Amino acid sequence: MNQRLDRINHFLDGVTRNRREIVTPEGVVLETDVANNGERLTAFLIDFLFWILATILLYLVFALLAVEHMSGAVASTIIFLFAFLLRNLYFIHFELTTQGSTPGKRIVNLRVIDRNGGPLLPGAIIARNLTREVEIFLPLGLFLTMPKIAAGWSFWLSASYFGWIVLISALPFFNRDHLRAGDLIAGTMVISMPRRKLLAELVEAQAKYVFTRSQLDAYGAFELQVLEEVLRRPPSEETKEIQRQICGRICRKIGWTGSDPSGDALDFLKAFYTAERAHLEREQLFGRYRSDKADQSSGRK
Amino acid sequence: MLRSAEFRKGRESAWRTLDDFVSRVEKGGVRNLSADELQQLPLLYRATASSLSVARSIALDRNLILYLENLVLRAFLVVYGSRKGVPEALGRFLRRGFPAAVRGALPHIALATAAIVAGVAAGFLLIEASEAWFNALVPESMSGSRGPASTAAQLRDREIFAPWPGFVESFVVFANFLFRHNSTIGIMTFGLGIAGGVPTLLLLGYQGLILGAFLALHYNRGLLLDFVGWITIHGVTELGALILCGAGGLVIAEKILFPGRYTRLDNLAKQGTAAAGLAAGAVLMLFVAGIIEGGFRQLIGNTPARLTFGFATGVLWLVYFCYNRGGAGDESAA
Repeated sequence: MNQRLDRINHFLDGVTRNRREIVTPEGVVLETDVANNGERLTAFLIDFLFWILATILLYLVFALLAVEHMSGAVASTIIFLFAFLLRNLYFIHFELTTQGSTPGKRIVNLRVIDRNGGPLLPGAIIARNLTREVEIFLPLGLFLTMPKIAAGWSFWLSASYFGWIVLISALPFFNRDHLRAGDLIAGTMVISMPRRKLLAELVEAQAKYVFTRSQLDAYGAFELQVLEEVLRRPPSEETKEIQRQICGRICRKIGWTGSDPSGDALDFLKAFYTAERAHLEREQLFGRYRSDKADQSSGRK
Repeated sequence: MLRSAEFRKGRESAWRTLDDFVSRVEKGGVRNLSADELQQLPLLYRATASSLSVARSIALDRNLILYLENLVLRAFLVVYGSRKGVPEALGRFLRRGFPAAVRGALPHIALATAAIVAGVAAGFLLIEASEAWFNALVPESMSGSRGPASTAAQLRDREIFAPWPGFVESFVVFANFLFRHNSTIGIMTFGLGIAGGVPTLLLLGYQGLILGAFLALHYNRGLLLDFVGWITIHGVTELGALILCGAGGLVIAEKILFPGRYTRLDNLAKQGTAAAGLAAGAVLMLFVAGIIEGGFRQLIGNTPARLTFGFATGVLWLVYFCYNRGGAGDESAA
């Protein structure tokens, strides 16, 4: 259904994302935009930063409170344990309570969802976050705590840890939905979901300009939606100039013979938009969807 | 007037209300809505979802369609989102999810156990015949000072009946070291399930091999029963956890190797949560084992008491796994 909007989205937004349909329990098909690897990395780094900051803070509090009473070994083991708990609880807590987003994901507008459109169960959230330990933190810890990268046996050991990290981190690059290992196991995926606003209705009733049916047949939905975008632009000198140019091109294309509209291009374009949308929507209701001006398949012969 | 504009006019206020509710939930949780609003939420969600279907078929307003798609998706995540906090989810996992996952993976547990038993047998036979193999099989960090050169008296006094090192040293440092060492191995056993299960079995076998080597070392010095007592006290929990990690890895491996009627990805998604639950629960078990090993082992000073304690932990785990069945119709895996 919504492949109809793909071309115009690509044309206007300039990015092509992988999309994936999920079907809600009500049977409504929703199109979701799969998050890019870059976005996911950014979100992870932001969360990682928060985690490091929290750990350092904890460490300072700890050092101030209890440093005289215990040996370095005891302090460092406790810090290790708390850092481990903190990072897992951080992700699990936020994904559980804020509809599958963490502070980092929220900044980048990402959400975790169930791949099949079902509810996101706590089990899945726990699974996808604990898997992160295996994917990144465990091998990273082993790699960093290797005494030294010497030749021979220990070299190959640290190389294998490093290889594991590279291999697992590269997984999102090799599948269409950019899933990491935790997503595979938990049946989840990460989507990009920037908030959209409902803008004002552009349709205006007026009687100044009247268009004939053959004039309105000149364009299809694609051109209509480009025009919509132009009309929604914030007013400026540049916008006015663009609107004047478009106005001229439309007049030429449809063979406009009425009064010269170049003085109030915006009014003319709004009138044309209203008439064109009314025309195309009526045609669509009769099963004659016209995708663009070159589309002859559904036009009247 | 246009049909789509009429349509929008009639429903816009409902969309705006829903948008407002959803934004408030996104900001601060469901608590931000009053009981009345909470009741309206699913109704508004369904009305908006049907608005989206209509808009797709009658409207050519791109902004409108994109807005509705976005709004319905956001409302969908709120309406079907999880409302549980961490403590609740964790409690549910411990009461239902983990025991259910264990009961659901019995064949895999049997296979993992078999791998360990085979390793123990091989290690025992090998070392019993020739102790020269010991240093080749057991890494230095695990053997400590123990080896072919150790005498029976050394093993008995320095290890099996060593004095208790004190609260902080045993509960904090040693228990934590053991926990991290064991959970690293456990998680690796699980994670290697992705590689088809063979590395999981090998790793399990190797752990068995090390255990078998120690058994033989003590057997040759007439300390077998004392050693068994010394290791049972935590070993029941620890080995159990290791087996569960391995079983989780084997579940993953099975779903990847034999996807059956679903695709590999779907199959993994269906069973992966339970498998990860096995591993996560096993890590918790390792935490318990670390505390027992680091703290209690040297506090209980004679072999019969140790054997009894180890046996009791085994029984407790069995009871825990078998009798947490939960009510009818509950979701599996937490």
